Amino acid sequence: MTEYENAIEIKGVTKYYDGFTLDNISFDVPKGCIMGFIGQNGAGKTTTIRSLLRITDINSGEIRLLGLDHIKDETAIKKRIAVVFDELPFHDVFNARDMARIFEGMYPEWDNAAYMQYIERFQLPVKKKIGQFSKGMKMKLQIACALSHNAELLVMDEATTGLDPVVRDEILHIFMEYLQNGERSILMSSHITSDLEKIADMVTFIDKGKILLTGYKDEIIEQHGIIKCNKEKLQEIDSGDIVSIRTNNFGAEVMVNDRENASYKYRDCVIDPASLDDIMLYYVHRDMKEWS
Amino acid sequence: MKLYTSLIYRELKLTRKRFFLMLLMFLLLSLMMMTPLILVFISKPAEGEESPLEMIPLFVGIVALTGGFLAGTNNGLQKADISTGWKRYSFVLPPTAKQQALSDLLIKLCYILFFGLLSAAFELVYTAAADYNKFGNKLYIYMLNIYLGAVCAVMLVDIAYSYILMFAKDKNQLKVIGVIAFLGAGVILKVFGLFADVKNEMPADSDSLISETAFNRLEAVLLSGKTTLCIFAAFALICALFFLAMWRSHERREP
Repeated sequence: MTEYENAIEIKGVTKYYDGFTLDNISFDVPKGCIMGFIGQNGAGKTTTIRSLLRITDINSGEIRLLGLDHIKDETAIKKRIAVVFDELPFHDVFNARDMARIFEGMYPEWDNAAYMQYIERFQLPVKKKIGQFSKGMKMKLQIACALSHNAELLVMDEATTGLDPVVRDEILHIFMEYLQNGERSILMSSHITSDLEKIADMVTFIDKGKILLTGYKDEIIEQHGIIKCNKEKLQEIDSGDIVSIRTNNFGAEVMVNDRENASYKYRDCVIDPASLDDIMLYYVHRDMKEWS
Repeated sequence: MKLYTSLIYRELKLTRKRFFLMLLMFLLLSLMMMTPLILVFISKPAEGEESPLEMIPLFVGIVALTGGFLAGTNNGLQKADISTGWKRYSFVLPPTAKQQALSDLLIKLCYILFFGLLSAAFELVYTAAADYNKFGNKLYIYMLNIYLGAVCAVMLVDIAYSYILMFAKDKNQLKVIGVIAFLGAGVILKVFGLFADVKNEMPADSDSLISETAFNRLEAVLLSGKTTLCIFAAFALICALFFLAMWRSHERREP
């Protein structure tokens, strides 16, 4: 088994589609980390995930998973990773037991006892056909399958989307448990930034095929702030400090990308902390500068 | 080995309904073909009247043809895998494209062996019950030639179909490809139809569908051991082609 520092290394990856380009993106997911991958619909999250899993081929760049080349060492990598998609890709005629029979031959480290424990914990019926499962049950089954072969890297594409808060919370709790030995890593793309705020160590923000931000979540949140001011005061703020401005009837809310510096420069303004949601929203509108 | 057990288990479990339907159809047809034997037992044909037993080679041929068609036909798995998203998911699973293709081929061969044995069993029943031994082993060669010939023809269609399906990545593209394949088949049939018309214009020797000379020639071909060898060679080649098509299909990434 290879020693590695980063569970995922993406360097200068470009993928051309008709009408969309994943443009020279680079980021790393250190071993033992949960990386939240955020961005609006069509930003390139799924394309990035499909590229790193080699569901689609890239035009240029380099991808390494668990220290191995994603093309040359594909088979070795696939034994050590797990993937959860937004939709269950299993046939409706199977039941939970059938899935165990299918996966136990595919994964050398498949652990039937662990799988049955997850099935029990999620209160999933063993003999009921998957076609009769609810969306939440389907997602839980997919997660149970993903966590039962001792995967070192878990990649999830919108896995919690469409689930109710109770199920989401339960699943997030399981991910935290899964990471406890420090040897495992998670890349989790989601629209639901509140989930990522709860569990992610790092965040990568993608928009229009470009990586805008990547780093430790707490640092990113600490760096950004929202200045609430009137329109006269707005003129005094340096354009270089501004990500974008949200105007309303009472004045403006300005996102700054260096909160500490802004708190010295604009002492008479109130600077609120920004959430991941806010950061995403203001960055998406960065080209317009002013929006409402 | 465990890997192939998993792959084969999945495929067999998914195709078992289709398999039972095919088996039912085959059994019904084969039992129907036994009617002449029963008729002979109920009422013996009058002197000078043609015995229904004379039809047995034709029935053996029909059973072998049906068995070959069912064994070689596409099992619908690729289409189902694309619809459910398993095809995309399979790219992130450990089995390689080659291993998946080999499992596809193994299952196809299992079907071929199963329906082949079943066809042979029915042939045995027909000949034993009718004491129809005048052809000796030739009737088996005849059956084998028809059976494998049908398997080869249907597998060729399956390879073409699987190759086309390879370009679909979801349900919508499947629909588009289905329409294109349907129109393509229509065009091909039309082209062949034109040739058939030309042939039909030729004067017929008799009222029968096929002239006696042509029938004799066909009979000689079907009863020949050389034909069996040729068909076996073609079958081996088609199996290799099937494996390559499946390999390519599992290997191909989404654009």
